Amino acid sequence: MSWRQEVDEIQLRRKWAEELGGAEAVRRHHEQNRLTVRERIGGLVDAGSFQEVGKLTGKGHYVDGKLTKVTSAPYVMGLATIQGRPVAVGGEDFTIRGGTSWGGDRRKGGQGGFIEDLADQYLIPLVNLIDGSGGSVASAKHRGHTIFPGVHGFERSVSLLARVPVVSAVMGTAAGGPAGRAILSHWSVMIKNSSQIFAAGPPVVERSLGQKVTKEELGGSQIAVDTAGTIDNVADSESECFSMIRRFLSYMPQNVWELPSVLNCNDPVDRREEALLSIVPRERRSPYNMRKLVELIVDQNSVFEIQSSFGRSVITALARINGKPVGIIANNPVVYGGAMNVAAARKQSHFIELCDCFHIPLIFFVDVPGFMVGTAAEASATLREGMRCVYVGLQATVPTITVVIRKCYGMAGMGTCGKNDVDFKIAWPSAEWGSLPVEGGVAAAFRKEIQNAPDPKQRQAELEEELRGFASPFLTAEAFAVEDIIDPRETRPYLSRFIDAAQVRLKTQVGPKFKAGVRP
Amino acid sequence: MSTIEVRTSVAGMVWKILRNPGEPVSVGDVLMIVDSMKMEIPVESEGTGTIRQILVKEEDVVAEGQTVAIIEG
Repeated sequence: MSWRQEVDEIQLRRKWAEELGGAEAVRRHHEQNRLTVRERIGGLVDAGSFQEVGKLTGKGHYVDGKLTKVTSAPYVMGLATIQGRPVAVGGEDFTIRGGTSWGGDRRKGGQGGFIEDLADQYLIPLVNLIDGSGGSVASAKHRGHTIFPGVHGFERSVSLLARVPVVSAVMGTAAGGPAGRAILSHWSVMIKNSSQIFAAGPPVVERSLGQKVTKEELGGSQIAVDTAGTIDNVADSESECFSMIRRFLSYMPQNVWELPSVLNCNDPVDRREEALLSIVPRERRSPYNMRKLVELIVDQNSVFEIQSSFGRSVITALARINGKPVGIIANNPVVYGGAMNVAAARKQSHFIELCDCFHIPLIFFVDVPGFMVGTAAEASATLREGMRCVYVGLQATVPTITVVIRKCYGMAGMGTCGKNDVDFKIAWPSAEWGSLPVEGGVAAAFRKEIQNAPDPKQRQAELEEELRGFASPFLTAEAFAVEDIIDPRETRPYLSRFIDAAQVRLKTQVGPKFKAGVRP
Repeated sequence: MSTIEVRTSVAGMVWKILRNPGEPVSVGDVLMIVDSMKMEIPVESEGTGTIRQILVKEEDVVAEGQTVAIIEG
């Protein structure tokens, strides 16, 4: 006597689960150029590493008491590894009822589901492969009552943001709860011309406002990533999306009680790039390529940029120096001279919190003239968002090094300094700083003198020239108001010494830093 | 024959127009310079062809994303 019969039934139920919504539903899904959730998990995680949990969940169909089929719960999840490290991974199965919520005794995925519990209790990263719109009004019929929003709330989703890396990949159309969960992540990605995200879809928009829009117009990547910054990055394909997820996680520790992994570095730390000597033009009004500047300094091929098309006046990227993860915040002189506007402030704030939470030292490459100015800037609350960014920067306790490339002015300039650190500022010879740039300051401070001069334009130019004489960074260095001025070619070896030395301090700072985690 | 709209990526003031209608251009050629936050930001052609129209003149104020030239490819 054995349990062979029951074990055979387990195998049968597992086989049905592998069929997802059935051949026809899978075919239609593929026709949309989308992978099934099982294919997605297979494409993301290390080969053979997926240990599914809850494979037998769903609705059983019985004829005369005999099981004929099981329609699976529309969510697939479990434990896997990515680059050898355990992760919790799960995603909606769109081939079954469009991935809408399922009413089991316990949730598998979604907010408050098993997969969030697994990440929380095992202290491993969580990857959400989002493809669904959450609840359906049809559930009221099934339950016999409407459900109060938040009965299955976001409490766990929020608390995870203080404990483990959470990645959300919007693989299909996300609205409702799944859209909310996409936001409650440390980093998010969607697929160009394939996935969309919005609070509510076109039918609700038309009903509410009379607007007729397509899903792509409402929440495609041009809106969600480029315009709004709702989602961080965009991939050209699902396959590229999986690569990006793996790459992002490679900079992160497993949880906040650990440090990120250090890779072997084959790029010599004493590499001194000749191009750095002339990359910043002597003409102050001429821009240069800040991305190229950063790439010449950090470990080769180590840059992973986040939100490249949003808040474009600042560049935020994970990178490595001598194999150690660093968070790069670099102003982009091509976009508004690197000035901080609302989008840049939001982007920088989130990035600082991300790096601080996961013990990743920050390096600022500074070329910022200050906050963005003008009526549009004031109308969008640049001052408030900019000061919020300064506020966030002042709370960071991760080691921070400030490299002043060119301009460092005003409150935005203040926001680049590590005040909970040694306030370590090193400058290039091209650097200049102050409360405000000479051009704007002279016009304000010497207004009467300029107005009364025989040639006001000439007098203003003379005063600007005179004040620029005090702006040499060497004068500030003599007073030790900046800690060093370096040959630009020395930047990589110089930074690597201090990033290496900072690893000791990082070890003493492991643990949670924020009660509620990184803000979305 | 296709037309390509060249847009400025930043708001500011048109400082210098460098090319004229009827001239041939390649991708990346600088058509004009926009003064934005005291920086001279080049506006580059996004296509190869002939400049059909320059839609702005020097000292015009432009908005981010504004079409400033049309290229006929």
